[in-house]
Amino acid sequence: MSTSSVEVVYRGIFQKTLAKNVCRGIVFAAKKDGRIGIAFGRYSDSPERNGIPAKQFAVVADTEEELEEHLSRYEPDNNDVTICADDTLCKGVESWAWYGLQPINKLLKPDGTLLVTSMRPADSLIRDIHRKAVPYNLATVKGTASFSGLWVYKDDHTDVRLLGALAKVAPHVVSLDAIIEGIGDSMKQASVRKAYDMVEPVPVAVDQGNDEVPYEFDLPGYTTMEECLVIRGMDKQQDVPGRDGGYVPARNPTFKKYATRTMRPVINFETCTKCTICWLQCPDTCFDVTPDDYYDANMEACCGCGVCEAVCPVDQCITMINEEAFTDNASQWEMWSKDKESYSKWLSEKISEQPARSHGFHHIGQYAEEIAHEST
Amino acid sequence: MQQINIHALSDYLETQVLEPWKGIKKVAHDEYFTSGHRTCQGCESALVMRLMIKAAGPRTIVLGATGCMYVANTTYYSTPWVVPWMHTQLGSSGSAATGTAAALTALMRKGKMEKEPINVIAFCGDGGGADMGLSAISAALQHTQYNLLIFLYDNESYANTDIQVSGLSPYGANSTFSPPGKVHRIMHKRWKKNTAAMLAAGHPDCKYVATVSAGNAVDTINKVRRALTIGGPTFIHSLDPCPKGWDYDPKYSHDLGELAVETGIWPLYEVEEGKLKMYGKSKHIAKRRVERKPVSEYLLRQGRFAHFTKEDLDYFQGKIDEMWEKWLLPGVIPFTGE
Repeated sequence: MSTSSVEVVYRGIFQKTLAKNVCRGIVFAAKKDGRIGIAFGRYSDSPERNGIPAKQFAVVADTEEELEEHLSRYEPDNNDVTICADDTLCKGVESWAWYGLQPINKLLKPDGTLLVTSMRPADSLIRDIHRKAVPYNLATVKGTASFSGLWVYKDDHTDVRLLGALAKVAPHVVSLDAIIEGIGDSMKQASVRKAYDMVEPVPVAVDQGNDEVPYEFDLPGYTTMEECLVIRGMDKQQDVPGRDGGYVPARNPTFKKYATRTMRPVINFETCTKCTICWLQCPDTCFDVTPDDYYDANMEACCGCGVCEAVCPVDQCITMINEEAFTDNASQWEMWSKDKESYSKWLSEKISEQPARSHGFHHIGQYAEEIAHEST
Repeated sequence: MQQINIHALSDYLETQVLEPWKGIKKVAHDEYFTSGHRTCQGCESALVMRLMIKAAGPRTIVLGATGCMYVANTTYYSTPWVVPWMHTQLGSSGSAATGTAAALTALMRKGKMEKEPINVIAFCGDGGGADMGLSAISAALQHTQYNLLIFLYDNESYANTDIQVSGLSPYGANSTFSPPGKVHRIMHKRWKKNTAAMLAAGHPDCKYVATVSAGNAVDTINKVRRALTIGGPTFIHSLDPCPKGWDYDPKYSHDLGELAVETGIWPLYEVEEGKLKMYGKSKHIAKRRVERKPVSEYLLRQGRFAHFTKEDLDYFQGKIDEMWEKWLLPGVIPFTGE
């Protein structure tokens, strides 16, 4: 008699179909194992927004009563496995449904396994993952994060490979045979077996990982709210120490975009013509205007959409870089003003070491091309 | 007892005089809709909100009908708005704007508030505005004694509830309500409503109606400033590329906005005091100084049209050609002469 649960943390919309396929795959496989399961999304993540972290769950039980007992809780915690479908989520999860940053391993039970889709080695991922008070395991399924959109799905076998790896790290949740039985396609069955064979979990000790305390915010309950549910508007502008002149708009104190980003812009201030287009076209008001009229992307507000890169008229002045290349959110303009030479070195390093990342639909046939390219 | 001359005092119609900003470098830095909202990556509608209120300035009240720009921007105890903002029901942006403008007039008439021109802007999505709220907007545009602006941000679906068809969804687009199948490829066969021109033609007393695209940010700002300066009830319709519902890489929001204009799908025009003026690239298209780009350049970059065949593209192109070549007023009024 037992119940087990799997949590899939993914990028909203971009990986919605992927997460659904994984959770459904678990439930179908459980049925083949003679057990009973259910898959569902986190209610408060809906409607999903592009890139904003969201969650889906699969719960498997021996009997209907056990399943119902488990479902009476709001959100499954003590998960046997947390699947992280995009490795930049290892920095933490700030969903649009709650406030503050949740470590990726927070809802994992002791000795559970965090399963990440990534090309990175385990220690590089552990650098980003917050420390946990109990030991757990980390396993990776080799691959770049699989991103597509709401209508056109990139069928690159990431979903079935995650299921294969799941059968290896948590055979008590679903068996390999059941997963293979549930998948008709022989190519996909081969992908399941390969992922099963290749996944190697490593133990993560309590003193390993990012020791930062995840940020959180105090919010009023309904008894302490103002009359008529008035929410105070933001102040027009915040004082930012050390900056004379320029303009820094107010920043929402209770919602940051650190965990929404999969990429971030890096700016070559030497070639910048101060044309203002990146600043004006940014949907997130993320650019601070510096005293010398440059535009500095504020990482507190940047959601990594890449519009600034697309509208910038200067070749390679703004470049979007995979978020995994960064460990802080410091101001690039400040770095550049202090030491232009080392900034230029830092910049070319970041640009040359850029890990691949696909960001959604461009044209018909693109996903097939990407899959062909990735498999060579 | 104090005598109140209703006729003399009720028509307080002075507006803020907002001169156009000539060029991108003249755009003010001040932000009244700032960071920390929960929209999608590359959300053009969030940019439109930002430009709209940047243009209007601090002495403005904004009312928002249900939709993405309500839900994503004002989640529990958190907001990017700097100016006063209030939520109103899906179909009631017109009524809320009229009510707010009337209340301000009454408060000023009764001396409970200092006399001052305050901008009233009510925004709505395509579902709230062009489907449910059309009658209320129509009523608001008849109330010429009030200064108000109805701003319709159109992402061509009910995007907040995960992409259902609205009256402004384009022909053939994939959506939760119109998934293409093997037997029936095109599940949404209605043609998009011609909302701005319909409202301009149907409300001759309305002094200002415009269409905008945030791909052209400075023009968008200046149309809002013009509408608020002219006063009376006014209407602006913005086409906002939506990375979630249209299914494209979020970085191309700006490009797709521009392509919609360049292909002739989205004509840019303003109707001021009954006078029609095309502007931006649409002006050149109307005067046949530039060729329209083929609509396939715009459609095939979006996952919602990924099921289109040549036949569908030809049909779409034919409808757009008709709009520019056969219509009484090309791109605006669809009748043909005898």
